[in-house]
Amino acid sequence: MEKNKQPVLDTVARGLNWLVERICALLVGIMVVVIWFEVVERYFLHLGFTWTEELSRYVMIWAALLAVSCGAFYREHIGLNIVKRFLPPTGGRILTIGLDLISLAFFLFLAWYGIGMTRAGLGQYATIFGITMVVPFAAVPVSSALTAFQIFAAMFRSPEPSTTGMARAQ
Amino acid sequence: MIVVLLIFFFFILIGLPIGVTLGVAGIAGLVQIGGENFLTMAPKRYFEGLDLFTFMAMPFFILAGEIMNRSGITEKLAAFADALVGYLRGGLAHSNMIASVLFAGMTGAAVADTAAFGNTLVPAMVKEGYTRPFSCAVTVAGSIIGPTIPPSNLMVIYGSLMGVSIAGLFAAGIVPGLLICVLCMGVVAALGKRLNLPKSKDRFSLMRILWAFKSSFLAILMPGIILGGILFGIVTPTEAAAIAVFYALFISVVVYRALTFKDIVEMLIRTARITGIVFLIIASASILSWWMTFMQIPQKIAAFFLFLSSNPKVITALILSLLLAVGMFMDINAALIILAPVLGPLTTTIGMDPVHAGIMIVLALNISLMTPPVGACLFVMSSVTGERIEKISISLIPFLVVEVGVLFLVAFWDDLTLFIPRLLM
Repeated sequence: MEKNKQPVLDTVARGLNWLVERICALLVGIMVVVIWFEVVERYFLHLGFTWTEELSRYVMIWAALLAVSCGAFYREHIGLNIVKRFLPPTGGRILTIGLDLISLAFFLFLAWYGIGMTRAGLGQYATIFGITMVVPFAAVPVSSALTAFQIFAAMFRSPEPSTTGMARAQ
Repeated sequence: MIVVLLIFFFFILIGLPIGVTLGVAGIAGLVQIGGENFLTMAPKRYFEGLDLFTFMAMPFFILAGEIMNRSGITEKLAAFADALVGYLRGGLAHSNMIASVLFAGMTGAAVADTAAFGNTLVPAMVKEGYTRPFSCAVTVAGSIIGPTIPPSNLMVIYGSLMGVSIAGLFAAGIVPGLLICVLCMGVVAALGKRLNLPKSKDRFSLMRILWAFKSSFLAILMPGIILGGILFGIVTPTEAAAIAVFYALFISVVVYRALTFKDIVEMLIRTARITGIVFLIIASASILSWWMTFMQIPQKIAAFFLFLSSNPKVITALILSLLLAVGMFMDINAALIILAPVLGPLTTTIGMDPVHAGIMIVLALNISLMTPPVGACLFVMSSVTGERIEKISISLIPFLVVEVGVLFLVAFWDDLTLFIPRLLM
């Protein structure tokens, strides 16, 4: 039983990550196009649209927060590894599990309280767009739950965090 | 207060991801000041911390850099740099520096440069007879020019958080960036004989320069477009970044014909992933920084600094030391978000221009990218080339001395950085 479980978890994690990556790509693409449109509109079309800024901002938040879960999938959110370097392999593995559990708790916390925030958003409306704030706020609980899942799945996969990912973030 | 700080340092030390550490410490802070009732603040701050239009410039600059890189423009820029200075003793080391400057106008981040150059220029240098640690050191030293010369993601963050003109910061970064390049080339020249750096067989050739210039001209134009657009008030920094994406796409697809649809999807994904890593740090840090504001920590630290000395010069030196020290141990994005609200007002108190203060803080953190034990550039260089961090660090010392020198020059001579913003704005 236990042996069968892991590949399923891993397959789901991989599939989900594949999908989320494409959604993120689409959102970043939309963001770019919206801002192009903003410039063209202001200088050539003069439609007086003001929603471009707000729309692109919420798209950005969705894209970035969803991508946090991809970071968890690839173990790209890394910290110092000074202590770990001095630990024996078993100790290092235990430390990694401990750190994963803390991260997991953090994102579950955000997901839980994020649901509360999103609910409260029902009565609020975006200033320009008129949509309920549920749509942008939902990015926090959805992405956090997703990230928590990816951390959980990664715990069963690779014990070693990659060092190349963070690299590119600076 | 002590408990929160202890939690923060403990988790950082044992290796919890910095983005999570900031959030956990922030939540501990919320519990400390308001108990359970304040916990609802956490997701709110996490969301609001990202809800800034100017932040969008970061993913756009990342994307533009990705596109330029993929289109093969990096090699063309390197060839142009080589045509300019390659014939000197230590030619490849010199052209590495020049390439960093040319590259700087297309990227907002240092570590991207380190990785790209570590993969291409370091092997080329080693092949010509440079030692590997020296080749790595030159590349690392050059890679902080990228985020000093605009565009720069750190400047976007600082400007957004502190309400300082991003355009002003961009303009102020030009001189320090060029100065670092020139002085590091000076170091190469000074060490040339002693280290017996190889001399290339190439001769100085105007034709070759013109030829290389022609093939990389469109890429060299990009920073001009970005800066010009912002400085003359035609577009906001975010829009300028989106235009940079458009420009990069245009020359990659139309001029160099180097991109497929699949490439574009891949680059969008990579952009999102890099953004996700940085934005997690920003979002979590805003939970912690809310607690810091509530506890009036910025005021307390400012009071402490002013208690130590009333001399602005001494305080400036203290600020620089603090930044360099913190940067040694902490991710620079996180350090900036935590320290900007603390140090920004303090610099105003001692009479510094906000743009001048901003560029000083950004430059100090950039330099800390290459100081052990936690210099991100060092790590990347080490993992890309397989050279040991200790060895790179030793070769890096003369460059580091020069760059810290530039930092102090920037800090104590405001006209040096401010004359370009004053000229243009």
